[in-house]
Amino acid sequence: MADVVEDVQAQEKLIEELGYDDHFHEHHKQDKYASGFISKYVFSQDHKIIAKQFLITGMIWAIIGSAMSVIFRMQLGFPEESLTWIKPLLGKWITVDANGMGTLNPEFYYALVTMHGTIIVFFVLTAGLSGTFSNLLIPLQLGSRDMASPFLNMLSYWFFFLASIIMFTSLFLNTGPFSGGWVAYPPLSALPEASSGSKAGMTLWTMSLVFFVVSVLLGGVNYITTVLNLRTKGMSMFRMPLSIWAFFITAIIALLSFPVLVSAFLMLILDRGLGTSFFLSEIFIGGQALDHVGGSPILYQHLFWFLGHPEVYIIILPAMGLVSEVLSVHSRKPIFGYTAMVLSMMAIAFLSFLVWAHHMFMSGVNPFISSIFVIFTLIIAVPSAVKVFNWIATVYKGNIRLVTPCLFAIGFVSMFISGGLTGIFLGSSAIDIQLHDTYFVVAHFHIVMGVAAFFGMFAGIYHWYPKMYGRFMNETLGKIHFWGTMIGAYVIFWPMHYLGMAGVPRRYYKFDTFQAFADFSDMNKFITIGAIIVFGVQLIFVINFFYSIWRGKKQTTKNPWGASTLEWTTPIRPGHGNWPGKIPSVHRWAYDYSKGEREVITQIEPIGEDEKLDSH
Amino acid sequence: MTLLTIFIIFVLFAVVIVQISRINEMAKAIKGEEEVSDRSMDRQGKLLFGFMVVFLVGTVWSAWAYRNVMLGYGPHEAASAHGGSLDSLFNATLAMTGIVFIITHIALFYFAWKYRRRSNARATHISHDNRLEVIWTIIPAFAMVGLVISSLMIWNDVMADVDPDEDYLEIEATGTQFQWFIRYPGPDQKLGTKNFRLIEGSNALGQDWSDLKNLDDFIAQEIWLPKGKKVRVRIAARDVLHSFYLPHFRVKMDAVPGLPTMFVFTPIKTTEEYREELSKYSEYQVPADPDDPDGPQKWEVFDYELACAELCGYGHYSMRKVVKIVEEPEYRAWLREQESFYVQSIRGTDADPYKDQLFDYELADRKAEFERDFGDALSAADDAARIVRLKYVNFETASANLTALSRYELDNAAEVLQGNPSVVVELGGHTDSAGDADANLDLSRRRANAVLTYLSGKGIDTNRLVARGYGDLNPIDDNGTEEGRANNRRTELKIISE
Amino acid sequence: MELAIKHRADGTRRVPPMKFALWVGLASISMMFAGFISAYIVRMAAGNWLEFELPSLFMASTMMIIMSSLTLHGAFISFRAQKEMRYKGLLVISVMLGLSFVILQYLGWMDLQSIGIDLKGNPSGAFVYMISGVHVAHVIGGIAVLVVALLHAFGLPFIVTQKRIERLDLTCQYWHYVDVLWVVLFLFLTYYR
Repeated sequence: MADVVEDVQAQEKLIEELGYDDHFHEHHKQDKYASGFISKYVFSQDHKIIAKQFLITGMIWAIIGSAMSVIFRMQLGFPEESLTWIKPLLGKWITVDANGMGTLNPEFYYALVTMHGTIIVFFVLTAGLSGTFSNLLIPLQLGSRDMASPFLNMLSYWFFFLASIIMFTSLFLNTGPFSGGWVAYPPLSALPEASSGSKAGMTLWTMSLVFFVVSVLLGGVNYITTVLNLRTKGMSMFRMPLSIWAFFITAIIALLSFPVLVSAFLMLILDRGLGTSFFLSEIFIGGQALDHVGGSPILYQHLFWFLGHPEVYIIILPAMGLVSEVLSVHSRKPIFGYTAMVLSMMAIAFLSFLVWAHHMFMSGVNPFISSIFVIFTLIIAVPSAVKVFNWIATVYKGNIRLVTPCLFAIGFVSMFISGGLTGIFLGSSAIDIQLHDTYFVVAHFHIVMGVAAFFGMFAGIYHWYPKMYGRFMNETLGKIHFWGTMIGAYVIFWPMHYLGMAGVPRRYYKFDTFQAFADFSDMNKFITIGAIIVFGVQLIFVINFFYSIWRGKKQTTKNPWGASTLEWTTPIRPGHGNWPGKIPSVHRWAYDYSKGEREVITQIEPIGEDEKLDSH
Repeated sequence: MTLLTIFIIFVLFAVVIVQISRINEMAKAIKGEEEVSDRSMDRQGKLLFGFMVVFLVGTVWSAWAYRNVMLGYGPHEAASAHGGSLDSLFNATLAMTGIVFIITHIALFYFAWKYRRRSNARATHISHDNRLEVIWTIIPAFAMVGLVISSLMIWNDVMADVDPDEDYLEIEATGTQFQWFIRYPGPDQKLGTKNFRLIEGSNALGQDWSDLKNLDDFIAQEIWLPKGKKVRVRIAARDVLHSFYLPHFRVKMDAVPGLPTMFVFTPIKTTEEYREELSKYSEYQVPADPDDPDGPQKWEVFDYELACAELCGYGHYSMRKVVKIVEEPEYRAWLREQESFYVQSIRGTDADPYKDQLFDYELADRKAEFERDFGDALSAADDAARIVRLKYVNFETASANLTALSRYELDNAAEVLQGNPSVVVELGGHTDSAGDADANLDLSRRRANAVLTYLSGKGIDTNRLVARGYGDLNPIDDNGTEEGRANNRRTELKIISE
Repeated sequence: MELAIKHRADGTRRVPPMKFALWVGLASISMMFAGFISAYIVRMAAGNWLEFELPSLFMASTMMIIMSSLTLHGAFISFRAQKEMRYKGLLVISVMLGLSFVILQYLGWMDLQSIGIDLKGNPSGAFVYMISGVHVAHVIGGIAVLVVALLHAFGLPFIVTQKRIERLDLTCQYWHYVDVLWVVLFLFLTYYR
């Protein structure tokens, strides 16, 4: 960006004079970071490599998870069409009758739906989103050499890898992968007799997720410790960029909520394998009455959603942090209402622990208890709304550089508005009577969490790509990717609101069994075609991503976007330890854009004598 | 093969993409163009603005086009008493969120376009405005409070259980993999107890037959309900979670194994009435079966339906039951047609705990039946027709001991004979052809005597009674079949003189 | 201007990052047990709950683990005060006590079995097995770490450096945690029935 005057020498001088000398490079001369391919790239303990490992693994899972959605959308949109042609991929799960007509096995349909949810929610949007960007940005934006424990950080990725292997293996089981919905409610998930996916598939699914939780916790421990203990000189909490606040608060939520999921899974495993009755009671299945008595399936739901609800905030908060950064950098304006943004993230985090049972309004919970959750759920809409208003105010009177990351950030706000507003309907328990478990819910969470979080992730990838690879992704392809996905995502999910209002339930293999649900074949076709096209557009992104690693336009200046934050003060390809000499010290907040005569004043510059300080 | 083709297409697609981007980069480098040329910003800005217009117009238009599925509009009116309030709340929420949706989107995309980067422009450093924060915190907060209050008022109303002295009909819906069992309480208006350990064979719910309340319960193939009467649905599950979902009635509640749940609602539109309403909308005026253009139209074959709304396995999408709302008289007529499950399938079988007893109504029925048969025999002209077969008189195997239940029939006979003091009857014992003929003769004679003894014990003068054993000499059916032999083993009462 | 990195006069940080990281991790583990405890409370309130007394072996094991924490703390102080023999001895005793805790827990389960409390059957029994079982798994992890400390104690030359003190401190912190955690769980299982 030639319009940003960058005086590399002046900057390096500032770091040399005012920076913090931790004698890092004297201590790490013969360290393990550069001692061989395996320790440098495979079992790396460098946070930047680990970030890329999370990203690539997340992208691979995203392709698998969305391919699954294309397949089951084909069943839903074109139930009369033969699927024989997918048989080479899906094998026994496509049954071909005497006329050569191939149908998808309903059991496998449910496995696809389950796996799609599990993969995208956990592997892509949790590991792939916060794993990538927390690892990449926390040390760089805070001015530290690496995470508090690079070893634990490395383990965090490899536990994720292990979880991935186990989950991937489960796809090829003879009895099929787990098929009881990503929420895995017992008794369906606890009883192998109830469904073929509840046999070995469920065992592997649970194992995989327990390792996944270990990965999240190891990562979270690092993120929190690094944010609290390893900030550079001058970097007070309220000088941190919003992205860091987001990752920090996310890690706290994760650490407090994921362990409860583990407790739920442990009890589920005991019910499955050892005959306990935590969640099971009075069941007759497979021709016999089972011995379990006294358990409650609703207890599982409470424990699951105690994680499940904070989980969606674990997904969206990092995306929000990334969007705040991207919008402000490209608008050349401070993020509007920095303090309000921090406080609203804290409010969202706190409230997220108080709303879980809004997923259970129709589950048989005492209605009085549900009322309390209605109140908290509608309250949590307030800080979310505040954030939206602040983003809009950020672009107001900016000078917005509408490059791809910024386009995705703007798209994020649109998606968050659209998806967030439908949450208000669902949080109203009376309305939820009709809309629970219908396509209205599917539309809501896909737009507000699926698409919005992906947009935040894309904004982050396009924006920090130079930091990761020293090159840029192709802008034209990026814009095609944006517009294709922006329009396509609404094409896919908007009609689902109408399906939901019409009462069409979710998790239905086909709709023609019911008069009430059978009239929407055109709409389903429309949605499916949208899904196929959007999937194709994502491939443009994937190709762009990998091609640009080797052939993308090279980054020639340290700070191509003219950002104020610390990550752009490292060399273009930061080595281990991030800064070759001292660590820069920080003298101001992260948002001095368009202040006075200058378009940007980076955080490392001291306050001028006649400079006025914002109270922000 | 198709898969291979698709794969090759993707590869070619990838190559094309890569080439486009390379050409694109090179062209830019040649032209010396920057990423953020004013022209490019203009284009993106216009696209964003254009998107906003198309998006908002599109969403509003689609809502209008699909208004007939919006809750409470057109044909999609609620068929229950509480449904209307739910629909109104939905629409109020829609109005409020719709306004926010439109305003925020206009603001977002308008600003994105208006403040797109231009080389001669600058951003304005505005970092915060606390007063604005307070305003846009308080307004949504108030809006939410309003929604919470109205929502909870409706919620408490809908979710409340019935008063014990209210007039309501209770039925039970049990979800299983993969069908619903609908149980009605029968004339006693009480559902009998059940126990999952008693589930066996046709007793799909594990009804405990020792509980008398169960004896008149029946299982319905369709849910029939009278219009205007409050219904309490007791919801249960036998194996995994299900959910009792009546979309037209705005009714939904999970079915949990081991934890009965319930939903209370009042249907207010009969199926006929709903059909009438649907007939006004063009989308329902088409033939119901596309292959049968002269057949009935969609509105004519409309039925309310029960669906499952909680994933329960691979058959989750197929758990359908028809729901019919009818006027009270029609409902009562339907009720009369339903037969109790106990009577239909359990009575007299090994599972029946009352196998050795008779119910009052059965006693009454049998008595009426005997009197009728006796009357017919008395008035018959033909000798052969003056016989009443004592169908409910049985003996223990190979003996002349009467079974416990036989006494009821014999009491009936005694009573009738006392009412007709001049009638003289012959009591005839008959066997099948199995075994020794002499033994059969002897057995049949002893059995006839046993009946005589019992009747004389009831005060009938022995002058009027003759006992005779016929052995296997008078079969009335084919001794070659089991059924035929069973028919041949009988005791008969023949009127000799009046 | 406030310094973000809090330094003591000698330049060392106030809370070593790894110790802080450990505490964060321990908070996380506590949440999992909080999940179990709340499930227990909710289930107990629902009725049909068999009441029984915990076998006295569990009291014995509790005593063991408390003692092991005391001896381990002693080992830590000895190390810091450069008392080699005392450090090594107390460390060995602590590991023994830790192992005996595990063994006594196992015997406690056998005792429960003999009075008819099993994993299947009434959840009140299942909860005891599950909670104590998951806890003992964490104790075994702690023993593994203690064994590493033992190997260091007897394998490496005896030099007391700041880094080694901090490393030993982490080990002890974890051990004290599983101890305190057990005391809390034990008191809960004993009195909240």
